[in-house]
Amino acid sequence: MRELFPMKQVNGFIFSLLLTVIALSVYFLDMSFELGITILLITAFVQAGVQLIIFMHAGEGEDSKTIYTTLYYGVFIALATVFGSLLAMVWGYF
Amino acid sequence: MNVNSTQPLEYSTEQNRLNILGFWIFLGCEIMLFATLFTSYFIYENRTGSGPAGAEIFEITPVLIETILLLTSSFTIGLAVNAMRLGRTKAMLGFLAVTLVLGAGFLSVEIYEFIHYYHVGATLQTSAFTGMLLTTLGTHGAHVAFGLFWGLFIFLQIKKQGLTPQTANKSFIFSLYWHFLDVMWIFIFSFIYLKGMM
Amino acid sequence: MEFFERFAIPHPSPMIYASMVAIALVTIAIAVGITYFKKWGYLWSEWLTTTDHKRIGIMYIISALLMLFRGGADAVMMRLQTAVPENAFLDAQHYNEVFTTHGVVMIIFMAMAFIIGLMNFVIPLQIGARDVAFPRLNALSFWLYFAGAMLFNISFVIGGSPDAGWTNYYPLANNEFSPSVGVNYYNWALQISGIGTLMTGINFIVTILKMRAPGMTLMKMPMFVWSGLITNVIIVFAFPVLTIALLMGTFDRQLGTFFFATTDGGMDMMWANLFWIWGHPEVYILILPAFGIYSQIISTFSERNLYGYKSMVASMVLISLLSFLVWLHHFFTMGQGALTNSIFSVTTMAIAVPTGIKIFNWLLTMWKGKIRFTTPMMYSIAFIPLFTIGGVTGVMLGIASADYQYHNTMFLVAHFHNVIIPGVVFAMIAGLIYWWPKMFGFMLNEKIGKWAFWFITVGFCFSFFPMYITGLDGQARRMYTYSESTGFGPLNMLSFFGAGLMAIGFAVLVYNIYYSFRKSPRNIGDDPWNGGRSLEWATHNPVPEYNFAVTPHVISSEALWDQKKRGHQIFRDKIEKIHMPNNTGWPIMVAGLFFVFGFSFIFNIWAGVILSAIAIFGFMGYRSFEKDDGRYISVEEIKETEDKFGGANK
Repeated sequence: MRELFPMKQVNGFIFSLLLTVIALSVYFLDMSFELGITILLITAFVQAGVQLIIFMHAGEGEDSKTIYTTLYYGVFIALATVFGSLLAMVWGYF
Repeated sequence: MNVNSTQPLEYSTEQNRLNILGFWIFLGCEIMLFATLFTSYFIYENRTGSGPAGAEIFEITPVLIETILLLTSSFTIGLAVNAMRLGRTKAMLGFLAVTLVLGAGFLSVEIYEFIHYYHVGATLQTSAFTGMLLTTLGTHGAHVAFGLFWGLFIFLQIKKQGLTPQTANKSFIFSLYWHFLDVMWIFIFSFIYLKGMM
Repeated sequence: MEFFERFAIPHPSPMIYASMVAIALVTIAIAVGITYFKKWGYLWSEWLTTTDHKRIGIMYIISALLMLFRGGADAVMMRLQTAVPENAFLDAQHYNEVFTTHGVVMIIFMAMAFIIGLMNFVIPLQIGARDVAFPRLNALSFWLYFAGAMLFNISFVIGGSPDAGWTNYYPLANNEFSPSVGVNYYNWALQISGIGTLMTGINFIVTILKMRAPGMTLMKMPMFVWSGLITNVIIVFAFPVLTIALLMGTFDRQLGTFFFATTDGGMDMMWANLFWIWGHPEVYILILPAFGIYSQIISTFSERNLYGYKSMVASMVLISLLSFLVWLHHFFTMGQGALTNSIFSVTTMAIAVPTGIKIFNWLLTMWKGKIRFTTPMMYSIAFIPLFTIGGVTGVMLGIASADYQYHNTMFLVAHFHNVIIPGVVFAMIAGLIYWWPKMFGFMLNEKIGKWAFWFITVGFCFSFFPMYITGLDGQARRMYTYSESTGFGPLNMLSFFGAGLMAIGFAVLVYNIYYSFRKSPRNIGDDPWNGGRSLEWATHNPVPEYNFAVTPHVISSEALWDQKKRGHQIFRDKIEKIHMPNNTGWPIMVAGLFFVFGFSFIFNIWAGVILSAIAIFGFMGYRSFEKDDGRYISVEEIKETEDKFGGANK
């Protein structure tokens, strides 16, 4: 039975629940927008990393370099799209 | 078929390795798909027209239930892959079934949430904000719904054919898909709900 | 009867009725012809159900040529309409439809299909693979593209063409200003073929990364393979944006949302934003494979290794990243602040640097080379100065403050045709002529080919250079006519003359195919250009279905050339049985269902939408239980084929 619940995954699950609780603090505690969004950014990206490395086995296998390149490339372009668009459509009018 | 027995079943043939890499690249595409939805959501976030704003319609309880359900299902599909690598077909099917049940639970709560939005007057046709909110959530929900059918078919195939290089490969790819949906939900949870209710 | 009224054309004209009749007659003629010659079985089993990357490539190219003539006819009609002031050949609405379909057909259904066709045919050969990573997915990609293309092309006889420009800007494209189903056609045709393109992108990345011949490291890949890899990376990350943008457009038009509306929080320029986040990388999706083709051709016919291989690769990687950071330069005049414009102006001009590096690399490849003026080489040589002019005017447009003068004028039209025609179209023609013997086993006639080249190149200069001048003088693009007092008349007449020359050039090109098919010798050997450098020239003409009898081994980036000059040995192994994918009919059937789905959605026929969606998912579910491990070609069979070509492992 033990082998069906490896420590790595159980710990990963507990850690991801913990991250959720930390993220929830922005709702239950009173804090500034800047602090709140910083907490959310950190918990969300750490959470994504936990999923990718522990659960999705991104680092194993012969193609891990390609997989990481794809992810970095995708995240870079995704962020460029989000912030570039915000600059163009919301922030950039001065 | 050349089967390499030194590697896990899902990596054991050349075609299997191609499939897994191909699916990772597909996930790269999905990152951009959701990035576009998030881009649009952030731009429409304050463009509520005559409709309600996010803080007025979001409810923490269903969102929290959805998050817990999806996080747990992501854990159980991880355990399913672990069981598969140990060759424990029955345990693997059990974890897969639990995952699908949790996924169905997530979807039911989301449907409840959508009905709630409808009742408080936040529909696709209310404002650009509510339209985008429902499109983003709907795209994620449609992915989950598709995943449920996909997972069900894999369940039936393993029941019928057992764990072969093909079915193991499909299960592993399905697990990647399911984890990815969880990651996207984390971003929705953080940057749509929590940011909106902050 | 009410049900059928929606299919009527909102804006009929004698020309549209004439083309309806023509379409019907041609379709009947083709069907009768195939039946008469009893070719249905052959067509079905050898082509429509094929998973062979070479045949899929050829089908892409044939479709692209068809679309080239559809889009070309639109182009000639536009030039004819504007040739003289106050012309009444087309009215405003019809002119709108013509420039819209011209743009969409040329970019999405001609250029994209042409590059994907060439990539399909050439890349597996150049990396020494048997096929692509996912052959059935490849067939599905093609048929989805084809379904999208057909859907788009029936628009002008059923329900009305799109008429909001190929950029389809809102609010012009919303229900109020574009009441016909035209824009729905635009949304669904692009959506369906876009899904196909996305799958091609994934397929080719995996193929190139995982299926190269032993010894071929990334830095030993032929330049066309590199350009293909980078292109497909851009496809994978750019096309999802289009998917979402089209979905939002569909919701706006058919489900009553307000995304691109001007009320209830909507934002019309959001469409432009999303469109160009996809649209600018799309430009590089088109041009990078063209750069790859020129690299191969220039190196072959200068008989020199490509100069600056590493800098070529580095500049393409850089272009792929920068291409996602410049989209805003398409709407500098929207009204955002100077800081935003400056940022995007700088990134735009930065792209000129890697592109310039490539131009110098080609020049230095030719420097001291033994240049042979074959037809593909002539296109490549003409490309360099013409493309540079286009690039320089692009930098002019990239200066945000100056762009207020150029924006939306014929100057812009001249600029992008100046990069797309010598850049992409010349490369497609050059590549087609260059690899033609690989596809069909005979060469195209060089003399006739050069006639076509001169007509097309000179015609191009006459067509588009006058537009720079009229654009600077203030002629707006997409205006269906102008008054005599503007003085645009003579230069527009010159453009029309140039368009005529180009039309003759393309007709000569087609005649050349017919002529060469009849007259060209068939015993041309494996390397008919007598200077082939990469692996595709190491196998036979036309290529047998298994590509290479034995897996090639690669030592350098110029595999075949170094076998000839340095004694490298490409083929070392014994012939073994070869694993091949089976043919399958499901891609064409699923694409057919997608066609029904798209068509029903366009006309709000919800029963059709639901039924075809269920059918698509049902098909996928059913098929997932199917087991298909492919088949083997026996050693005897391979030996027999190889003997026919004069023996393997020469």
